[in-house]
Amino acid sequence: MAGKGKLKPEPLGGVVRLREEHKKVVRDCESRIQHWKKVSGDYEALSERLQTLPDQLCYDVMVPFGPLAFMPGKLVHTNEITALLGDNWFAKCSAKQAEKLVEHRMKFVKREIDELSKTMKNFEARVGFAKDLEISGSKEDYVDIREEDRNIDTALTKGKHRVAHKPNSKPKFEAVVDLKEEDEEDEEEGGDGGSRKGVLTEEELWARLDELEKLEELQDEQDRLSDNADMNGEDTSSLSSEEEKEGEAAPPVNGLSLKPSWLSAPHSKAPPTVDKKEEEEDDGDDENDNSCLPTIFFSHTVEPKKVRINTGKNTMLKFSERKEQKEHSKRKKKNGHNNGHSHHEHHKITTPTDIYRLFVDVKNGEPIPRKSILKSRSRENSVCSDTSESSAADFEERRMIGRSFSHDEATHSDTSDGITEEDSPTAVPLHPTSRFEAFSGTVVEKDPMPSAVPHLTIVPPALPTILERKQEEVTPDVAPPEKAPKRVSKFKAARLQQK
Amino acid sequence: MAEAIQKKLQAEVEKYTLMQKDVSKSMAARQKLETQLTDNNIVKEELGLLNSTNTVYKLIGPVLVKQDLDEAKATVSKRLEYINGEIQRYEAILKDMEKKSEQHRELLSSLQQEYQKAQGLAVGKV
Repeated sequence: MAGKGKLKPEPLGGVVRLREEHKKVVRDCESRIQHWKKVSGDYEALSERLQTLPDQLCYDVMVPFGPLAFMPGKLVHTNEITALLGDNWFAKCSAKQAEKLVEHRMKFVKREIDELSKTMKNFEARVGFAKDLEISGSKEDYVDIREEDRNIDTALTKGKHRVAHKPNSKPKFEAVVDLKEEDEEDEEEGGDGGSRKGVLTEEELWARLDELEKLEELQDEQDRLSDNADMNGEDTSSLSSEEEKEGEAAPPVNGLSLKPSWLSAPHSKAPPTVDKKEEEEDDGDDENDNSCLPTIFFSHTVEPKKVRINTGKNTMLKFSERKEQKEHSKRKKKNGHNNGHSHHEHHKITTPTDIYRLFVDVKNGEPIPRKSILKSRSRENSVCSDTSESSAADFEERRMIGRSFSHDEATHSDTSDGITEEDSPTAVPLHPTSRFEAFSGTVVEKDPMPSAVPHLTIVPPALPTILERKQEEVTPDVAPPEKAPKRVSKFKAARLQQK
Repeated sequence: MAEAIQKKLQAEVEKYTLMQKDVSKSMAARQKLETQLTDNNIVKEELGLLNSTNTVYKLIGPVLVKQDLDEAKATVSKRLEYINGEIQRYEAILKDMEKKSEQHRELLSSLQQEYQKAQGLAVGKV
């Protein structure tokens, strides 16, 4: 009690002062706005005068002589105006030109007024908040409520992630590597770089996630059936859907809120590059079962790991471990290997070294660790190090193309494009053999193309660009024959020949 | 003991206020430069609106001196660059000063604590 009593006056005092400062700023803004309004009024009057001035050749006027006397005189050369341009520069111009100058200045003044009014609004809002704080400070209820909300928020949205992630992952680039299965909340982490407090309520989160998962699965199936047709259209449009989704997810603090965001996820699959992928992945579990629908879903039955790699320009590739595992096992079976399981385990990324282990180039069925995941993937495709190949420009190109293509349609494996010319030809021959490359991340279209899926899951290459390329490669059925004639490095050609 | 600390504190406080004055001076200079910058930007744009038929004058003291339009444009651009350079210089100086004043502030607070402790001791003793 005594402690409470002590605490009360302190924040109050600070809050009062804060309010005072805010008010000062508001007042300052007001005065400045007044000043600019006056200037604006002056310029308007000037503009009028300039319009009427050249009407006559000369005017009879009373010319001021000093502060007290006037003298009758004539105003001549009515079209010649010497205008001050600022900083001691003058220009002689006609009345019309002067008018143009005045207009130009009015624009500037308007801009200033707008900015000032914005600032003023901001600070007025702050004053309001400070006031509220002051009031609630006396009650001492406000703080508590806030804390609760925060906890819930973190519990719902961020907690899970925080465990495995670096605290400073930025929204754009998030190497989300989750060791836990309930990664369904990844969708919300995308934009929320903020709270790393989830660790505190992790267990709560786990329990919650379990519940939500079940609910979502049920709902997803229902909704998908009804909404898929509608939502597909929406997907292509909003690349910022993730933000929306997160916006949806964030405010509703309880578990139920997750549903809407998740529900929207399957709908918004079209842009594979968007961060929605996480959601898609989450939905993958559910959607795998309902593959009859034409919508594009991210297949992700088990979510041991999710890796989102920023491929630049608002694109994100998601590395779906499960897919990789699937494809791996399929490939392995084809090749008669039994390493699927080992790969399965290897797919778990717990340390940076894991990344290197996973992002390996598979040549002739054997994983060859890459020297650097930052190096371009072109090396993979060509025996020699074709560093020049995977230039940034190329990647960008491919990425863009891949993205545009991926938007297109559900039926084919993600990147319908065969733009990655280099890769596409190799894609075909490589498919039969084990392919560890390319990252099935973004575009993978789940169910509509089960056959395509195996192609997609390739060893997670480190470079997002490569991933994209791979995805593009993934449509070997469609694209490669067309693209084959395009650039193919000699090494690739050799390999092709071999195969 | 307490008095010595007090004197020290006083001296440090004075130094700190001097530093703050310097900081505010630099800030004022920078503000001035900012206004000049916007001014020159407007002049540049307006010069672009004119054509060669208009004569351009520069006010040098009480005299309006005729200038060539292109020359005027070049001069204004140079001035803009100069102002930008000055602004950056001032920013660097400001940063520096901020750091120093931070250090000074810490020093002051530590001194204050010492002083309070000494005061407490003195009170205890008395």
